[in-house]
Amino acid sequence: MTDFCLFKYATRDLLRSRRLLATIGLVIAPAAIVMLLKFGRHGIDPVSIYHVFTPALVFGFILVILSVVFGTGAISQEVEQKTIVYLLTRPVPRWRVLLPRFLAAVLVTSVTSCLAALLLAVVLLGPRHLADAPILRDLLILPVGAAAYGAVFLLLATLIHRPLLWGLLYAFGIESWAPYFPGIQKVSLMAYLRVLAPHTALESDSVDLRDMISSLTPAAISTSTAWWVLGLVTALSLAAALLAFSKREYVPREDAE
Amino acid sequence: MIALDHASRWYGQVIGINDVSCQIGPGITALLGPNGAGKSTLLKLATGQLRPTTGTVKMFGMTPFANPKVLRRLGYCPEIEQLYDDITGREFVTMLTIMAGLQGLLLRSRVSESIELVGMSANADRKIGGYSKGMRQRIKLAQAIAHDPDVLILDEPLNGLDPVGRREVSMVLHDQAENGKTVVVSSHILYEVEQMTKNILLMNRGRLLAQGDIYQIRSLIDKHPHHITILSPQARALGKRLLDLPFVLSVRMDPLDSRVDLETREPERFYDKFPEIVLEHGIVVNAFESPDNNLEAVFNYLVNG
Repeated sequence: MTDFCLFKYATRDLLRSRRLLATIGLVIAPAAIVMLLKFGRHGIDPVSIYHVFTPALVFGFILVILSVVFGTGAISQEVEQKTIVYLLTRPVPRWRVLLPRFLAAVLVTSVTSCLAALLLAVVLLGPRHLADAPILRDLLILPVGAAAYGAVFLLLATLIHRPLLWGLLYAFGIESWAPYFPGIQKVSLMAYLRVLAPHTALESDSVDLRDMISSLTPAAISTSTAWWVLGLVTALSLAAALLAFSKREYVPREDAE
Repeated sequence: MIALDHASRWYGQVIGINDVSCQIGPGITALLGPNGAGKSTLLKLATGQLRPTTGTVKMFGMTPFANPKVLRRLGYCPEIEQLYDDITGREFVTMLTIMAGLQGLLLRSRVSESIELVGMSANADRKIGGYSKGMRQRIKLAQAIAHDPDVLILDEPLNGLDPVGRREVSMVLHDQAENGKTVVVSSHILYEVEQMTKNILLMNRGRLLAQGDIYQIRSLIDKHPHHITILSPQARALGKRLLDLPFVLSVRMDPLDSRVDLETREPERFYDKFPEIVLEHGIVVNAFESPDNNLEAVFNYLVNG
């Protein structure tokens, strides 16, 4: 009952009124952009547009930003608001305090990013032609990404101060560029997600710089490797986060003095 | 219940508490000291939020840090004002009481009882975001007592309460103590605590200055004479008799012949002898008080010398 209670309140906390509005905004954003730019009128194939927008906006932005905010927020928000004291002085093993909050973060991130992908597909293809795009595969892989990113950012939050700042730097620094560069490609979770949920590039006369660099290196990550790496990163990061949370002190110094 | 043995806690170069040894048992104990004295650090060590740098801290004979066995028997009301503003007071108390292991009918009845006990029944179903400071203190107290803990630790619980609220909270704490609980209350406002208990722990700059009954502590401070004021219509006659006592250092009478102020280094002997003198000489006494027996005086003597 304790676990469910913590999960319920953590989920509610993630979807507080202001956050809920921002989350709804993110769900609508990709579809709204497509509608505003009226791609259909330019004779571009809607499936191709889906293949461009889903990796860029849903995987590359919505999934990552929500993972950073909710993953780090699972613990850092309680620390910053100082309400963590209520959770840490209850007779519940600390790992059981943190795990439901992680699951709530993964659930909200998954649902939001999946809804964004689904809405984008519906707007582009219409409900009857959803099968033309790899929407089902994307809906499967997005929660995998939410779990992997969520665990990494949760670990970050249990170990360092200002995890949101460092998380954003990591997400929009390494994760945005590493998948395209030879050598450092394998340090990026996005590289593995792209293997599990590949999207074909839009045919065009101009070439994006990142695609040009990417084309220099043949795909070196197999599907099984991608599954293994994402699974291991999720499990190890989560285990390390739960362990750190059980051992570390979370009392702001100014309070303790 | 709570035992600190040469416990010290440092934050880098900053000291929280320094070599503190004490034991706290059932009844109300007030933890006193100015801001920065180390009260909160001591409470955070006792409630298992911090580990001591050196020495030991035990509750029920166990280390409290992240220890569910200890925390199950602990109720803690922190000093912080921040709460979960988007949920109601009842939801707040319910969530934390579930975490304490209660469920079903017992959960609901204990939550309702504790909310009623702190006088929050009328506001319990409002969102905490709309609560006043006093309401926040009350709901914090409710979550601390809802699971019926053996040890209740409250960090500045009277902050933000009006006089009526202070009296009500004091009564709740007295009830808890009378039921055999250990209640530790920290405060930097002496007169508030004085109404609540005479058993104190006095801290300053991370050190424990004194522990025990306020009167006993006061009597140990023989460096400072003990002041006593007596109001009597026969002040001059009374003053003359008192001046004959070998343990009375000085006697001063006011021009209206209605008041005697005296100093003694042996208050206990004086208190024994005083009724005898009054009865023997038929002296009327309207009032009798010792301003040095209050916490403010004890605190000033110990802290300022």
